[in-house]
Amino acid sequence: MPDNSFKPLDPLLHSELRLAVMSILIGVDSADFVYLKSETGATSGNLSVQLDKLQQAGYIEVKKGFKGKMPQTVCSITDRGRDAFASYVEALRSYFPTQ
Amino acid sequence: MENNFSAENSLRLITETIERSRRAVAKNAGKPLILWGALVSITAFVIWILWSKTGSPAWNFLWFAMSVIGFLGNRYLDRDKEKVPATEVTRLIGKIWMWFGILSTGFFALVWAAWGIRCAVGIEGPLNVDLTMIILMMMGLCGAISGSVLKLKSVTIPVVIALALAATFLMVMPSGSPVRILSFVILGVLALIVPGVILQKNEKKQ
Repeated sequence: MPDNSFKPLDPLLHSELRLAVMSILIGVDSADFVYLKSETGATSGNLSVQLDKLQQAGYIEVKKGFKGKMPQTVCSITDRGRDAFASYVEALRSYFPTQ
Repeated sequence: MENNFSAENSLRLITETIERSRRAVAKNAGKPLILWGALVSITAFVIWILWSKTGSPAWNFLWFAMSVIGFLGNRYLDRDKEKVPATEVTRLIGKIWMWFGILSTGFFALVWAAWGIRCAVGIEGPLNVDLTMIILMMMGLCGAISGSVLKLKSVTIPVVIALALAATFLMVMPSGSPVRILSFVILGVLALIVPGVILQKNEKKQ
């Protein structure tokens, strides 16, 4: 019997900006704050808040350092974040009719 | 905004973001392709003229000078380039061309070493190796794989056409003739400059 129920979507990922950040990080080794800001079009404040939420959930790792004399924040996805993203995509499938 | 974020929007966002990242990698590929295409074509043409006039295949060492100019040119292009985070794709393409450089240089050195040994022990006759064909094939293979990994038909198709034309040209031309080096002009123009110009035009459209 086919399962027609919708699977719950991870509320942490079901947010436009956080999902955009995770979609970027899933395909790269790491990305700095400036790159994430330009790719998502978010404001610095909003992006910082959302990155903090993802970090607290253990989905991303945030390293603060310096590039030359300029401060640099580099983000990368963790194994937990990768699993969460895969589960989110899997859950998303249940919202679309299978062919 | 987040309240209206539907499953459809999620899927679209994921697809668009991943596609944009893929395009960002290809975005920076146009100028280096044109640079290397021009260098390969000009070097092959210059070697053909000098080799034909002097009869010495030693002019092939100009390929090393070309590599140095290309390396410096790439560094110069990197200065203006928009920084894109490293991905599995960029790393893979980097490794593919790194191994092309290592293997072609190594093979080139090996052929010259073998030629030196033959001269030293007095063995006559042509070397039993078609260096031009081997390097041409390796270069074509690397180009086709790069285009395929980047999912860029504008790179893969010209490379395959160029490879077929250049290989045919090599097979038709007499063995050991300097004119065979012109096969690299075919490859340089069709497999590097043409895809580079297409990528540049596509980038300007976006």
